[in-house]
Amino acid sequence: MTRPRTVVIVGESIAGLTAARELRARGYDGPLTMMGREPEGAYARPPLSKEVLRSAVAETGLVYACADLHLQHVRSPAVTLDTSARTVTTESGQVAPYDALLVATGATARRLAAPGQRGELVLRTLADARAIRVRMDHAASVIVVGAGFLGMEVASAAAARGLDVTVIDTDPPLRRLLGSYLSDRLAAHAAARGVLTLRVPGAVGLAGNPVHGVTLPDGTTLAADLVVTCAGDLPAVGWLSGTPLADPAGIAIDERCRTTVPAVFAAGDVARLSPSAGCGGGRAPFWSHAVAQGKVAAASMLGQECPLRPTDDYFWTEILGLSIKVAGPLPLTGDPTSAEGDIHAGDAILRWDRPDGPTTVVAFGRKVPVGRLRAIARTGDPITKEKS
Amino acid sequence: MRIHVEYDRCEGHGLCAEQAPQLFSLDDAAELTYHAEGSDVPADQQARGRAAIASCPVAALRETS
Repeated sequence: MTRPRTVVIVGESIAGLTAARELRARGYDGPLTMMGREPEGAYARPPLSKEVLRSAVAETGLVYACADLHLQHVRSPAVTLDTSARTVTTESGQVAPYDALLVATGATARRLAAPGQRGELVLRTLADARAIRVRMDHAASVIVVGAGFLGMEVASAAAARGLDVTVIDTDPPLRRLLGSYLSDRLAAHAAARGVLTLRVPGAVGLAGNPVHGVTLPDGTTLAADLVVTCAGDLPAVGWLSGTPLADPAGIAIDERCRTTVPAVFAAGDVARLSPSAGCGGGRAPFWSHAVAQGKVAAASMLGQECPLRPTDDYFWTEILGLSIKVAGPLPLTGDPTSAEGDIHAGDAILRWDRPDGPTTVVAFGRKVPVGRLRAIARTGDPITKEKS
Repeated sequence: MRIHVEYDRCEGHGLCAEQAPQLFSLDDAAELTYHAEGSDVPADQQARGRAAIASCPVAALRETS
């Protein structure tokens, strides 16, 4: 494609901001519009489910400085895309033309509330995190619906604040992502810390209006001062209705972050990689993938070659004081093929070797920088501490 | 430009060192060393430094001037 004269990025996300930075680094000096609904602009989101739930002080320093990028900020969400006229219209009525468009609108929380039911809490934005933190200030008990990494992080923050915590899911903690071996250890860790993980045989509902509890599949209701829904996320494609991009499963992109629509690219949680591009052909809504895709998309928008892949298999979480860092593909299944250290003491490095594929390495409760983890995964080194 | 490192926030992920290996390094225990502490980031390292700031998953890095 020819070099674009005007670039528009929709979504104040890490994918969007990374793309903006990469565009400038690659020499694009034309107009660069960044639009999004966040009044603050782009900010770091991983701390929202951790420190920000504990203390207001943790909000400082989250907003990314980007004055050097000379962005034209539009602080209003995009509501319409016209792919033939090549314009984006915002809620505030602004019409922005583009030669190249990056959709980086991320995802929204999947909600459980019935129509008209008020008071459901979810966690995607800084405003969401503030709302939950303030409610925790005056709560003694919390139910978290969903034992994925977000749910377990919210549970961890609540436990650290001294609340009684119950986590409800059809599966044990993080089982879908990290497999049975790590899930079993995390369940034991949660139990030892007094966090109740409750397995249910089917979908739960929210009770009360406003919400004051959870209705289990057998009809019983558990009450709590606070209920937080962490039941997954949905690609934010609502504003693309009427275009071929409005796929509820995520915008399909190839290994260059191109969509099926000319001049439109997508990156981050809103996107779904084609099977040939990586991740087994699905959404993999994690930070490192969003950063990688932001970079690839920027190169593609400029018609430049880029050696990077639209995936970067690094994932981390922290559950009740235990940090877990993963280099290599997810999900994991079964037992690790080798281990070093003491998993029960929360100090181990584990590896899952695959006969015909890449290795996944997990630092379980041990501080290991990502470069070292990647090296272990890449080289097939036995797991030993490097001599210093 | 200068970069302020919030060491209390750092969790030793090391993504900064992948973006800007001349500015950041981590030892085996994931302890971070910032090599331009107390001085300006060299001109030829500023773009990498800003990429490092953006890559930090815990927002432990900040551009101060």
